[in-house]
Amino acid sequence: MSEKKPVIEFKDVTFWHGGGNEKPAIKNINLKIYEGDYVALLGLNGAGKTTLQLCINGVIPNSIMGDFEGEVIVYGKDTYDTPVREMAKMVGMVFDNPEFQLSQMSVAEEIALGMESLGFSYDEMVETITEVLDIVGLQGLEERSPFGLSGGQQQRLSIAAALAMEPKILVMDEPTSNVDPIGKEEIFSVAAQLNREKNMTVIMAEHEVEVMAAYANIVIVMHEGEILLNGTPEEVFSNVELIQKLGLRLPQVTEYAHRLNQLNLASIKKPYPVTLNSAIERYKDIL
Amino acid sequence: MQGIVIPISMVPGNSAIHRMNPLPKLLWTFGILALSFSTRNIAVLGIAFAIGLLLVFYSRITSAYLRVALILFPISLTLITLQSIAPAFPRPWTTIAAFGPFNIYQEGIYSGISLLLRIMAMTTWAMVTIMTSHPSDIFTSLKKIGMPYVLNFILVMTLQLIPILQNEFGTVLNAQKSRAMKGSGFGAILPSMVPVFVGAIERVQQLSISLESRAFGSTGQKSSFRQVRMAFSDYFVMALGFVTTGLATYWVIIDKSLDWSKSMTFSPIFAVSLVLSATIGFLVFVIFAIRAALSA
Ligand SMILES: Nc1ncnc2c1ncn2[C@@H]1O[C@H](COP(=O)(O)OP(=O)(O)O)[C@@H](O)[C@H]1O
Ligand SMILES: [Mg+2]
Repeated sequence: MSEKKPVIEFKDVTFWHGGGNEKPAIKNINLKIYEGDYVALLGLNGAGKTTLQLCINGVIPNSIMGDFEGEVIVYGKDTYDTPVREMAKMVGMVFDNPEFQLSQMSVAEEIALGMESLGFSYDEMVETITEVLDIVGLQGLEERSPFGLSGGQQQRLSIAAALAMEPKILVMDEPTSNVDPIGKEEIFSVAAQLNREKNMTVIMAEHEVEVMAAYANIVIVMHEGEILLNGTPEEVFSNVELIQKLGLRLPQVTEYAHRLNQLNLASIKKPYPVTLNSAIERYKDIL
Repeated sequence: MQGIVIPISMVPGNSAIHRMNPLPKLLWTFGILALSFSTRNIAVLGIAFAIGLLLVFYSRITSAYLRVALILFPISLTLITLQSIAPAFPRPWTTIAAFGPFNIYQEGIYSGISLLLRIMAMTTWAMVTIMTSHPSDIFTSLKKIGMPYVLNFILVMTLQLIPILQNEFGTVLNAQKSRAMKGSGFGAILPSMVPVFVGAIERVQQLSISLESRAFGSTGQKSSFRQVRMAFSDYFVMALGFVTTGLATYWVIIDKSLDWSKSMTFSPIFAVSLVLSATIGFLVFVIFAIRAALSA
């Protein structure tokens, strides 16, 4: 992976939200994300996850007021001088409150909205709508009102609307925070499937560490606007004390491994296991 | 999850009017609008209203229409009460009856009836158009004839937002009720407006970011997903509407003999009973409306 060029690169990015904020929302961000990565963004509320994500498609600095320093390069394009609608062809965005992202009379029209803006032909639109509804599992709901769907369905609809524009990167900001447990699972599996089968780069801010440990190949921990940890789930979650000090959760197996060590009941070497399967592998060795 | 009802929305059906392209319907509606504003002649307005009603029956939207008309009509009755004592006509006015401290004027009765008919004619035609056309088709047609994309979006969004805000308002009101706050009257309505309003702002901000992220507002070539076709019959109905309402409007403007405000006289008994029943009709409606609002 290391010889590849990053598809997203943050170079020393700092952003202050407008309105006289002294403290930057994100500070000195340096980050490289590669094609096909599944990145989990962790951090408390206010850590800067949303701000960082809005930099990827250029909504920051182009549409949100504030002071911006540094450079964000996405597929060779500097977001500073690329219009958001241009970036929209590469970066799909899904936000936390599904209902707040919807506006149209029917599911089909909701998905068509982005394609209309880009001038897709009617036939292309019809074909794409069927295709993306199939991916997110909302087949047959074309004529329904987006506002009559369940939270999980609405969120999958906003994913479909983003996918319709054929992005290479899918940015999701706490996409399951307003969704019931079954809906959550559906969203995680759609994202994982896109990542696996279409090699789509996924950047997800999410509190469900268990799920992220299983799907993500990169975990980033943010705190007060800065990136504190960035690495594989095993590398990152092995920093047990730091993560706990920040008030973030750890995957249960990681926590147990750490506790076993602390109680001198075992000596599990770092990096700790982060998923049940990898834990079973490890414990096999021990036993 | 599907309790969302837009008060004036499409009533599904398969009448010839339903199947028509929205543009001829819109043209007719605007034609009737122009005609109604160009005359106060009771017969002309009455006929426009009556034809509108026939279209309501023909397209089988009667019950949906009545739900709106039963609110609109009693409110419009105030026109008769108010006009009868203060006509929107140049003086001198002819007194036909005294009603307590008020005089009831001949011109006022005429003016009240004609304004009532004007409102009913216009809204009836407008409701036929709205209730027989899919909103998206209306918007797509308007886009085709040059309505700005963004204006179009604002209309769509507003139409969506109304029932949502209604719902949220109800939710907040219920939440306040269950916290044993006073759940009725203006005292309860005012504070519950605040979270709804704040929520609406947040919604619009979030939506605008989401839309921008989907290339909305691009300047380049756009396309339309909704396909609305104009058939030959649509062109015909449209041309017919243009000629008919155009000529009728021209006629009511130039033909001075259509001004019946002086020639059409009402007996004192008729005048008084009309004003009384209009006033009572409105008051009964107000009482029902208040009771419905408070018990909701
Ligand atoms: N629109 C805004 N205006 C002013 N400050 C903001 C705005 N959005 C976020 N912030 C501030 O920026 C910081 C980072 O917020 P955010 O990126 O939303 O974090 P997260 O998504 O991790 O919760 C917080 O301190 C927050 O208060
Ligand atoms: Mg956030």
